[in-house]
This record gives sequence, structure tokens and C-alpha cells, in this order.
Amino acid sequence: MRSFFRTFSGRSLLPVAAALLLSGCDLLEFSPNDHRAPDSERDLTAKNLALLAQRPLPAGDTLRFVFTGDSQRFYDDAEDLVRSVNQQPGIQFMLVAGDISDFGFAREMRWINHDLRKLKVPYLTVVGNHDLVGNGRKAYEAIFGPRNYSFVYGDTKFIFVDTNGREYNFDGTAPDMTFVKRELADNSVRRHVIISHVPPQDEDFDPALSEPYAAALREDPRLVFELNGHRHAFSIGEVFGDGVTYINSSSFESRQYVVLTVWGDKQFCLKQVTF
Amino acid sequence: MLYRLILAALVAAPLAASATALSLPGTPPDSVAVPGPPAATRPVSASNPLPWYRPSHVVLQTGGGLGMIAGGAGFSLKDRLDLDILIGYVPEKYAGSALSLVSAKLLYSPWTLPLRDKLTLKPLSVGGYFSYTHGTINDEEPDQYQPGYYWFSTDTRVGPLLGSRLSYALPATASGRSRSLSAYYEFGTNDLYIVSYVQNRRGLSPADILTLSLGLKLDI
Repeated sequence: MRSFFRTFSGRSLLPVAAALLLSGCDLLEFSPNDHRAPDSERDLTAKNLALLAQRPLPAGDTLRFVFTGDSQRFYDDAEDLVRSVNQQPGIQFMLVAGDISDFGFAREMRWINHDLRKLKVPYLTVVGNHDLVGNGRKAYEAIFGPRNYSFVYGDTKFIFVDTNGREYNFDGTAPDMTFVKRELADNSVRRHVIISHVPPQDEDFDPALSEPYAAALREDPRLVFELNGHRHAFSIGEVFGDGVTYINSSSFESRQYVVLTVWGDKQFCLKQVTF
Repeated sequence: MLYRLILAALVAAPLAASATALSLPGTPPDSVAVPGPPAATRPVSASNPLPWYRPSHVVLQTGGGLGMIAGGAGFSLKDRLDLDILIGYVPEKYAGSALSLVSAKLLYSPWTLPLRDKLTLKPLSVGGYFSYTHGTINDEEPDQYQPGYYWFSTDTRVGPLLGSRLSYALPATASGRSRSLSAYYEFGTNDLYIVSYVQNRRGLSPADILTLSLGLKLDI
């Protein structure tokens, strides 16, 4: 007995302690708001954009992508969604319309990434109101990246905008209209697509910015459609009757997504998929 | 780098204590039946208990969602039930804003096993904690949300704890109370992680929601 413990403390404890020092840092969480993560699970927006840049749209191919949103606390559904999306032919990427997390924790964002990184195509996200709870804005920036950004693919500029005004107490900063107008003014590409979480007709959108935002979209001749999440139900229509099409995504737990195909100046078709 | 040093110190202290015990001369390996001095092996002197309001130990720990570093004091009942009150801190670099946490941990350790010389082991400590976090960026200002907009609290957490504690007997106090330095680990989680796991038994594993605390306790 005695020699067992002598061996135990002398020989076993040191490697155990060393293992804890090396691999335990992930377990040694300082706070649920702690957003430390391994390099492979940080800056995911930049990493996914780099993946996308490696496979540009071949000339003559049609721009086609999956659109969904609100993964929140639906990890079982996320696995099934990945399985379904991986069977879609001819898609180039997937867009997630915000609320990646439920409580604004980096650990939740990483859980979703553990599923979505199994997609055969890159995925891009826009920040949602749940991703801004507590210290979520910093967790989102650490795990994914900027809250406002854009990229060009297939002669189309995809513009990601933080429209979660209520999380900023409607202080006039979300959406960042300077960013929106600058991005929509880019006439070096054929088409624009804008994606945000809270739709402009929603009570969680900054009421002082709802009309300026809708007006900026209305005046953009290149805009194909506006994409939103937040409402957990698919819908499509001209919300303001001004010629701008707004498409709202299903959430992960409603087990539906859409495949959007875009061509010409503003033509598109939409396929609903249930999984 | 600083955190590595803190971790190393937390791990090294009990190892150093254990090494001291190892090098004690004059005790042949099979003399397990020979008891040490009573004051050194008996964790609490029943003849001289502390009044209930006097903290019996100080605590220093890392992790467990209660701070990068958390320190405080605790009360002990019959050497089995510990209530520790901790103040924790997380620098802005790791959480987006500098966080201060106040937490209370209640742990029940039903068994104390003598190992050898001055070492004892509490193989099981089971309990829970409550924590309040101050200093988050988006902290629910009045009228920001309608009641029930978010069903959960962003700054109050509760969770279960499960761990063990290894103690090394130190010389008794002047008043005759025994003292020891203990190192402990505790696995834990929190209410929101539990909700996430329970609703996603396929998509998440128990390991996904685990947190770990490492700490030291010193009787005073």
C-alpha cells in the first residue's frame, strides 16, 4: 500500500500534472465569457474566406449557395443539417444569418463550428443578437471575426451587416450606415447581396435607422436581395413594397434551409430543402 | 506566460510538500501501522473547534469559470463540509472586458483516507457553486429588453462540482489546532452548459461541457 502511493505520487503525479498544464488549459475556463481558443478555432471568417478563395467560381458555372440561420442551441439538428447540405450538388458555400450561439459564449460558437467545419464547402456567418449577449461581441470577434465585413465571389459582393440595434440600446451604431452605403456604392461588381440578422421591419432593429437602411437598399441598382434570420421561419417578399426582396431564413431546429441560385443581373431561384 | 507561472505554482506546491514527505528519514516502507503524532494526522482537533464565524482556511484557485485567479476564505464543518467564498478576476484580454466574480462554493467530502506520514486524501468532494459576474459589456440596461426577452441571466451562474483533495499536515497552531495545506481539483459545469447538453445528447458529449478548477487550501 505504502509503496503504491510512493509510486503513485512520485511517478504518476508529475506526468498527470504536466498533461493538465498542456491540455487542460481548454478545461481551465476562467469564465463562461472566456474566449480563448486554439488557433484552428479562431478567426473562422478569415479561414473560411481563404478556403473560398482557393476555389473561385469557374467561368460558366452558376453561383449557388445554401442559406440558413439561427443555429443557437440546436446541436443535434446541426449534425443533420451538415449531412443534408453535403449532399447538395453544385453549391459553393453556406451562409448563416446570425445567432450562432444562444448565450454569447465562445464555447457555443466552437460547438457549432465543430459541426459546420464538417461541411464540404466553407461557411460564412453574420452576427446575431444572441451572439452579442454579455461579452458575446468580443467572443464573436475572436472566434469568427469582424461584425461588419464583405467579400466578392462570382462577380457578386456579399455584404454582412450587424443590425442588432437593441443590443446597443438603439444608439445609432447598428447598422453602421457609413459601412452599408460604402459597400453598396461598390460598382466594380455586377451584383450585391446583403445579409444581416434582424430584418429592418423588426422591433429589434434600431427604429431611427430602419427607413435609412431600407432606402439605401432601394436605391442600389445592383442589389439582388436582402437576407435575414431572427424570426426562425422562412419567408420571402417585398416587405416595404419598394422592389427590394427580403428573404428570411429558417432556423436549424425548423429543419429546413434554402438553396439560392443567382445569375444574370438580378435573377435568382430558390429551392426549399427539408432535412 | 504569467498564467503558466500561476499554474506551475499551483501544481508545484503540493508536489513539493509530497517530496518533503518522501524524504523523511527513519520510516521503513512497510511500517504503515505506525501512527504519526496525533496533531499531525488528525485533521481537526475536536477539543478546540473554531467558532462558526471564524474562517478556517484561505483558498487560491484557477479555472472552473470562477476566475483566471480566484482567492478567498472558507468555513469548515466537521472537516467534511466546506463553504468557500471567492473573489475572482479575469483580465480583459481573455474575456473581452475585465471581469470580477464573486462566488460561493459548498463542498461535501464524506471520506478522509490517511495515505502515509502527513498525507491524507479526500477522494470525493461533491457540491456546487453560485457565481455572480460583474463587468460584462452588454449588461441588460433598464428597458433594454422586455421582461423574458432572454430567459437566462448573463451574470449569475450555478453549477455542480466533483473533485478530490490531497492534504499535507503542517505543524499545529499555538492553540493546538491541526493545520494542513491541500491541493484540489474539481470538475464542474454550469446551468447553461447543462441545458445545452441535455437538449443535445447526440450533438454534444459530457466532455464538451466540462470545466476544471485547480486550487490550494491552507488552514489558518
